[in-house]
Amino acid sequence: MKKWRVIIGLVLVVAVFIRCNKVSVFAESGYDNRLSGGIATVFDETSKAFSHVIEGLTARDAAVHQTGDKAFEQTFVTAPAPVNSGLGPVFNNVSCISCHHNDGKGTPTAGFITSSLLFRISIAGTDAHGGPMPAEGFGGQLQDLAIFGRQPEVKVNISYTNLPFTYPDGNQVVLRQPAYQVTNAYRLLPAGYMISPRLAPPVFGLGLLENIPEATLLAFTDINDANGDGISGKANYVFNAHTNSMQIGRFGLKANTADILTQAAGAYQQDMGITNYVFKQESSYSQLQHDGLSDDPELADSLLNAVAFYIKTLAVPARRNVTDAGIKKGEYLFQQINCTGCHIATIQTGVNIGLPQISNQRIHPYTDLLLHDMGEGLADNRPDYLATGSEWRTAPLWGIGLFEKTNGIPFYLHDGRARTIEEAILWHGGEATAAKEQFINLSQADRNCLINFIKSL
Amino acid sequence: MHKFIFLVGAISSLLFLSCNKAPATISASTDFSTLEQSVITDFTNNIALNAYLQLSVNATQLNTALLNLSNNSTDANLLAAQTAWKNMRAVWEQSESHLFGPVEDNDYDPNMDTWPTDYVQMDSVLSSNNALTVQDIQGFTLSLRGFHPIEYIIFGEHGSRTAAELNSRQKTYMISLSADINTSCNDLYLSWASAPVNFAQQVITAGNGSTKYAKRQELLLAITEGMAGICEEVGEGKIQEPFDARNPAIVESPYSGNSTADFKNNIIGISNVYMGLNGGKGLKDLVAAKNKSLDNTIQAQITAAINSFDNITLPFEEAILNQRVQVQQTMDALAILKETIETQLRPFIVQYITD
Repeated sequence: MKKWRVIIGLVLVVAVFIRCNKVSVFAESGYDNRLSGGIATVFDETSKAFSHVIEGLTARDAAVHQTGDKAFEQTFVTAPAPVNSGLGPVFNNVSCISCHHNDGKGTPTAGFITSSLLFRISIAGTDAHGGPMPAEGFGGQLQDLAIFGRQPEVKVNISYTNLPFTYPDGNQVVLRQPAYQVTNAYRLLPAGYMISPRLAPPVFGLGLLENIPEATLLAFTDINDANGDGISGKANYVFNAHTNSMQIGRFGLKANTADILTQAAGAYQQDMGITNYVFKQESSYSQLQHDGLSDDPELADSLLNAVAFYIKTLAVPARRNVTDAGIKKGEYLFQQINCTGCHIATIQTGVNIGLPQISNQRIHPYTDLLLHDMGEGLADNRPDYLATGSEWRTAPLWGIGLFEKTNGIPFYLHDGRARTIEEAILWHGGEATAAKEQFINLSQADRNCLINFIKSL
Repeated sequence: MHKFIFLVGAISSLLFLSCNKAPATISASTDFSTLEQSVITDFTNNIALNAYLQLSVNATQLNTALLNLSNNSTDANLLAAQTAWKNMRAVWEQSESHLFGPVEDNDYDPNMDTWPTDYVQMDSVLSSNNALTVQDIQGFTLSLRGFHPIEYIIFGEHGSRTAAELNSRQKTYMISLSADINTSCNDLYLSWASAPVNFAQQVITAGNGSTKYAKRQELLLAITEGMAGICEEVGEGKIQEPFDARNPAIVESPYSGNSTADFKNNIIGISNVYMGLNGGKGLKDLVAAKNKSLDNTIQAQITAAINSFDNITLPFEEAILNQRVQVQQTMDALAILKETIETQLRPFIVQYITD
């Protein structure tokens, strides 16, 4: 009898413990939804909100981050020089920070030292890896500045046409449609050239985005729109010059770059004319403006790595006002009208044993990193690997409410045409048409709730 | 007897209740709120507006001194120009402790204070036929504009310039450079002082109608962030980079030998913001009202950081090689101050500025 008591007792204990352990999903309400970047979140809503290192790096990693931070701000000068040598001969800007203002976005002008807008160029066809076909004499990007005595490749004039928009409730908004005129080309532009404007995007949180498993992104794809919601979603596959392989694209406004290192290396070489171990030749190689110096690579390998690490370890700013009733309603509406069809709220990052802060984090980037047809209004009509002329990568929305702080005057969308979040929403088309139409038909109060929710990100 | 004790007890309770009267609490919070507004108003008028006005005045004085030097190239006029340059730098460097608003949003900082010098392009510019008008300068890349090309021209390598060495192209260039700075400084001042931006008004009305700062807390955090930012830039950038690399070539402001003065002025700027200027209130008044111990700590650390520069007696380019202990002590003092600002002052603002 005693034996039985013991056995029954043990069974009960085991059963109770198993039951205790049963919960497999942590309740949604148990998470703090201010933590947009999981543990890699920072609480700051000043103009420096995008510029913080994620907490808890090792001393060595923190030192590399700091080295990268300083390098990100360095102004390059003409070679040969004792420091920061190698600017140009043709370029778009003189430092990383000049375009990525406060590690965020910049100003949609071109050809000035305060500009953050650049233009890609290509002609019909594809290169050896399926990427855009470079334009002879110009490559893949138009450098609209040059060192003294050299000629910039082009000048691009930007003009805007006002497009009034009226809501069903009678409220009006004026959108502005940009037009680009390429002038002063240093040589004849090729026939049928295509250009695409690209406003410098924010650089925080990219370590987390880089750490999302490819399988997770592919699970978001719905190329044939099997669920019939009008949203497809396609991964871009692009050539990575660093790994010499085709990889899923995550970065760049058309997801045409696979990883942070290649993005940074490309920006050094194309935007500033600073050669490095990934891109060893000047952007002007074989062109008339080429400097003819044999000083390549102009950037120390360790500095490129440090800058890539700096970007990888920039924290995501926390959400604000998450308990506000209006903002909670906006969040509900955001889901209800299916903005979340592309702007996916919650993603789990993969395991990264080297950097625990970006490993296995529950993040809220509000992107799927996939390509979507955004309609004629936003089309650049220039393919980029698998991206068609009307497809763009879903922009991450985290931090978007702080653009006013980091940039003084905020600008939105790939070319900065939108001056408000409302304008940006109204430019959505293509796969986002249904969501936009529902937004338009909301009451003004509800529209404001939805916009205020986005501002809280 | 029991009744009596009860009565005494009841009366005592009433007395205690009246001691704890609500109006006293309201009055304290009203006072603190008034103090917050005073600190914000005095920051705007005595620190920010005053700095940008002074900068604008100094820019005009520099331009005048360079014109005098150009018209009459004596060593006395060269010295006057060098002094005007240093005076202007002092105001500018102090203003870098509050590097937010138009100065940040509209790129005034890189337009005036880009480092390093682009020797190759400068030589190209000077030997070209470019007219070197102000408009030409404004079209140049950042490293060909601002304080440092002027510094290079009027001080020369290691401050060795003599007036007789200046050629006409250098004179034309330096005058246009200073006219460009003059324009920038005027625009910067006007962006604070008048419409359409009127940033001073945006700051003063923080939490009370400002479209830039919905809460006072936001503004005070931006001010705090500015203080921590300049600590980091000086301690971990301007000083540490050449120190670690043992490389005098990457020291900022090397021609004038003004590097240490620049750095010290950056930290004096922190003191201005914290202590207040011209009898006005500073952040210290807010901190002292709630946490005198923290106020004492911050004041002592600011003083220690500023004084530590006086131990660096060699020109900074030499000090990074031959006074490494003293330079390290300054970096340490700045690191301590930055740590306090970030881990104590910032949480203080979050805790107590609760509008």
